[in-house]
Amino acid sequence: MKRKWMLLVMTAVMLLSVVASACSNSGGNGNGKSEGNNANTGTNSANGNGGSEEKPPEKATFTIFNGAGAAKDINTNETTIGKILEDQTGVNFKLENLVGDLNTKIGTMIASNKYPDAIIPDAAIDEVLGAGAFIDLTDLIEEHGPNIKRVYGPYFNQMKAADGKIYFLPFSNVVGEYVPDPNINQGAFWVQRRVLKEAGYPQIKTLDEYFKLVEDYVAKHKEEDLTGFISLTHDWRFFATTNPPMHLMGYPNDGEVTVDLNTLEAKTYSSSDATKRWLSKLNELNAKGLFDKASFVDNYDQYLAKLTSGKVVGFFDYGWQIGNAQNVLKDAAKKDPAKDDFVYFPLPVTFDGEKDQYLDPPGFVKNRGIGITVSAKDPARIVQYFDNLLKEENQVLKSWGIKGETYEVDEKGRFYRTAEQIAKIDEAFREEFGFKYYDWNWPNYGTNSTLADGNAYAPGLQAEVFQMSLTEADKMILDKYGAKTYAEMFAAPDERPWFPAWGIPKEQGSQPQIYETKKTELTKKYFPKLVLAKPADFEKVWTEYQGEFGKLDTAAYEKFMTDEVKKIVEQVKQ
Amino acid sequence: MAELAVKTKKPKQRRPTSLGDRIFDYANYTFLTLLMVVTLYPFLNTLAVSLNDANDSIRGGIYVWPREWTLDNYKYVLAEATIFHATMISILRTVIGTIATVFCSAMVAYTISRQDYVLRKFVTVAFILTMYINGGLIPNFLLIRDLGLIDSFWVYIWPGLIGVFNLIIIRSFIEGLPESILESARIDGAGEYRNFFSIVLPLCTPVLATVALFTGVYQWNQWFDVFLYNSSNIDLSTLQYELQKILQNSNASMSAKSAGDAFASAGNQDANAVTPFSIRATMTIAASLPIIMVYPFLQKYFVKGMTVGGVKG
Amino acid sequence: MENNTVSAASSSARSKKPAGLPRFFRLLFQQRALVVMSVPFLIWLFIFKYLPLWGWTIAFQKYKPALGFWDQEWAGFEHFRFLFADERFLRVLRNTLAMSGINLVLGFVTAIVLALLLNEVRKVMFKRIVQTISYLPHFISWVVAAGIIQSTLSPDGIINELLEKSNFIQEGILFLGIPEYFWGIFGAGTVWKDVGWNTIVYLAAMTMIDPAQYEAAEMDGAGRFKRMWHITLPGIKPVIVVLLIMNIGYLMESGFEPQYLLGNGMNIDYSENLDIFVLKYGIAQGNFSLSIAAGMFKTVVSFILLFIANNISKRLGEARLY
Repeated sequence: MKRKWMLLVMTAVMLLSVVASACSNSGGNGNGKSEGNNANTGTNSANGNGGSEEKPPEKATFTIFNGAGAAKDINTNETTIGKILEDQTGVNFKLENLVGDLNTKIGTMIASNKYPDAIIPDAAIDEVLGAGAFIDLTDLIEEHGPNIKRVYGPYFNQMKAADGKIYFLPFSNVVGEYVPDPNINQGAFWVQRRVLKEAGYPQIKTLDEYFKLVEDYVAKHKEEDLTGFISLTHDWRFFATTNPPMHLMGYPNDGEVTVDLNTLEAKTYSSSDATKRWLSKLNELNAKGLFDKASFVDNYDQYLAKLTSGKVVGFFDYGWQIGNAQNVLKDAAKKDPAKDDFVYFPLPVTFDGEKDQYLDPPGFVKNRGIGITVSAKDPARIVQYFDNLLKEENQVLKSWGIKGETYEVDEKGRFYRTAEQIAKIDEAFREEFGFKYYDWNWPNYGTNSTLADGNAYAPGLQAEVFQMSLTEADKMILDKYGAKTYAEMFAAPDERPWFPAWGIPKEQGSQPQIYETKKTELTKKYFPKLVLAKPADFEKVWTEYQGEFGKLDTAAYEKFMTDEVKKIVEQVKQ
Repeated sequence: MAELAVKTKKPKQRRPTSLGDRIFDYANYTFLTLLMVVTLYPFLNTLAVSLNDANDSIRGGIYVWPREWTLDNYKYVLAEATIFHATMISILRTVIGTIATVFCSAMVAYTISRQDYVLRKFVTVAFILTMYINGGLIPNFLLIRDLGLIDSFWVYIWPGLIGVFNLIIIRSFIEGLPESILESARIDGAGEYRNFFSIVLPLCTPVLATVALFTGVYQWNQWFDVFLYNSSNIDLSTLQYELQKILQNSNASMSAKSAGDAFASAGNQDANAVTPFSIRATMTIAASLPIIMVYPFLQKYFVKGMTVGGVKG
Repeated sequence: MENNTVSAASSSARSKKPAGLPRFFRLLFQQRALVVMSVPFLIWLFIFKYLPLWGWTIAFQKYKPALGFWDQEWAGFEHFRFLFADERFLRVLRNTLAMSGINLVLGFVTAIVLALLLNEVRKVMFKRIVQTISYLPHFISWVVAAGIIQSTLSPDGIINELLEKSNFIQEGILFLGIPEYFWGIFGAGTVWKDVGWNTIVYLAAMTMIDPAQYEAAEMDGAGRFKRMWHITLPGIKPVIVVLLIMNIGYLMESGFEPQYLLGNGMNIDYSENLDIFVLKYGIAQGNFSLSIAAGMFKTVVSFILLFIANNISKRLGEARLY
């Protein structure tokens, strides 16, 4: 026994001494080792430093940190698109995507003043800019960026920081004519198709008409135990419950404010009559037993489960939030056409039939983008890569792919995809080919752009591709409303150069930002109370809510937003 | 010797149990069975979701049995080329981290269990205070950088070398050892080292197993340090971190920072191949199974002899 | 022998005997083996735990990570003021203390009871299986666990269904929508998730009890409860007490994930704790200073609680932490 123990202890000690010596190695050697690593990448890019002018360009690898964390960590040259681009430029990018908390990661980068070559800071862009982590691109663009100038030229005024310099390239710049999205990825009041079918496909324009439709259907189908209306409230997705008043008044999604087209006044609406009207409507609905109380406690998964259950008649939400649920429903409908009844159909509902503005106007999100950092070893090379990427043929490559493989061209020069190609391009293919990695977060044409030959830049926006995606039932219901696309159900968007107002940069921790946090907290607390209150108590609770809301400095916030909106309008005029 | 005591001491000749005893036993067994049902459910539920078609899972209503069987979720998660290497790193950090922590904690615990040690109080208080203080994220990060531990495996080991919680637990155990054993050893003229290695350590097996379990699970589950310090070095990535990446990846298709994301390359309306909901379940199972399987080996040290065994000198 | 105050040992040693310092060094030399076994770790401790404390200065700055220490703009007590002056602060503090208090009491009681019950199981196989299964939920992340709790408590969840079937209620209760229920749900959820895990340390402690004691008690005719009360519990008491003191020091840490995940607009008055508050107004706003200020506040409270708990235990003649 004793000997066994001694043996055990001896092994433990041996192991530990190994560990200890390894530890001490890292103490002394660790530095050397990590420097060695750096040196590696260093030489790689140093190689690229010199004569990239002549002959096949030398290989270089740069790093990009993506704070929007959209995909796997890969080398771009492992994808088909990335390989082609590497052949053209000799440049490969090593992508690192955010996994944990953005502010934490960016904070540590800033504190140690060591950055990847390029960063997509997403929501932390103000911190990155404030830290002086981005270099000025103006001269580099002048020197190496003819295509950057072509693509971004019209937006240069808006891209300039207060000091007149350009620090990053945004993503949503429209090139050529604006192509609207045929699908509804933005907000709408949705209703099950069977409801419209039963009612004989009526035109639904006002909120009252919409809720009447829902109410009648539920009343007629008592045995089905249906839920009239639900609303998404989970965590940050709560805006799906606070935004409707804005849309019901006939405004697009500017976030916390509505902006008057003429006076350019930005006004919050969270405590306005519009919100009151919206909530009292929900309150009324709740009293009739048509509103699902659990809306206020359900998480996102539960919400999606309810949408796919076929029991929910209607709801308001943004298309991109219900994509997964709608896919399930459509999938079922493809297998069994009778199930088409449960697919949701979008309706342009306003309070009193005002002109709706659900569709996004051509907008320019100017607080997102990609910039080159002060740590970058060879900024010129990166700018050259960006410029090369912005060549029309490369934009076609990253968006449509390779002719004959991922798209075809008909005799009229229109791009389209065959059914097999559409089927082939699944998630795995998108990763392998690189669509997924080049989808977004690169200097590119904004999604709604048009190519020089008149084709839509984004396959999903090409009419031919869209039409192919429709089922017979889809075509039928669209036909009933005299529309070719879902978007045609809605009014065309007015011009709003500041759109989206939620994209107006706000400094971290500044008054406007804290205001928004507090406001969200307040609405989160009071909306359930207002909706679930006894109808007789509604006024009382509303007054209480008004009182609390009055403590916020709304005027200062509105002034800030109005000023910013006006600034943008001025910039655009120049 | 501890094990021997267990084996030989099993008293088969228990006295006949009284009625009260039997009632207690029934109640006890019933209660514990109920407890098992309640605590097994989340695991079974997660397992069922992980084995169910992702697209179908959105509809909800999966309890303990999958509705549409599939291994696709696992294929998606485990097909990742980086997973194998990351698992190796996870195992390495768990093994090395656990051994180092248990050993170092036990050593310090031994010194502060010695009532006559002049630095006892100083060392004890110095350690305890650190449980409740924290310099904050950025200062810690800068320290690790200045120590050259960024992009290094040892950042997984050094900062957590001694957990105060573990230290105190071990100390309590050592203090609970029969004084006579230590005394006699000292009279024998055994040095401190021998005293520690050949008497205290073996006697503390149950608590060392406990601490090893705590540390092992912590090391295995940890991914925040990978995120902070080694996120750009794929060679040092761990299983948990890679799983987090996969989860993030599946999230991305649903989140939309901007209008463009969702449909820029639309055209194929295939249903959802993966969803965060299913991936989360799958990674829970994939990540916890290995450590759960290690458990029985440790368990014998603190469950086996409980009422009958125990450590006798 | 060491009833001195919480000062460092060196000073206490000095005050002990007139011989003072020389005696201290002589002892130190005599105990050099112990010194070798502990002092290297003190150095480790200093580097990894005490050095970063310079970061506390950040609480008094308008900290910008990009600037060096001397370039920071000083803010005095502004962040503390923001924290303490906020009208929600007291409520948030109440929630923090209430939930960690619930956690402390429930966590201790349930884990100890379960350990005792397991200890009474004679079938080793059964004991092992129960033990293994009961600790499984510990490995389920809070995101998954919260999802399960939410669906269990939803109006069409199993709890409501059972209540409806047995005619206690007419229509489903929104459990998570009733603020006053939140602490209870939180407490039950935490126990459910961690009770098995928490028993491990007590089970380990029980192995140290000399089985001869049980046998003797049995000879004397002591029943089940008597043995539990007079042998098992006293046997693990030192561990219980020490853990209790440590956890009392942690009263400001009530956890973050369960509250964040189970919290919603309806129960926010009872679910929002200090950590969530700091997340919203500190970390999410890139304000590192506020989170450090909050951290310092927590530290101070922890020290006070720890000191009180330790002293009480000392007075009662129980195990002490230090």
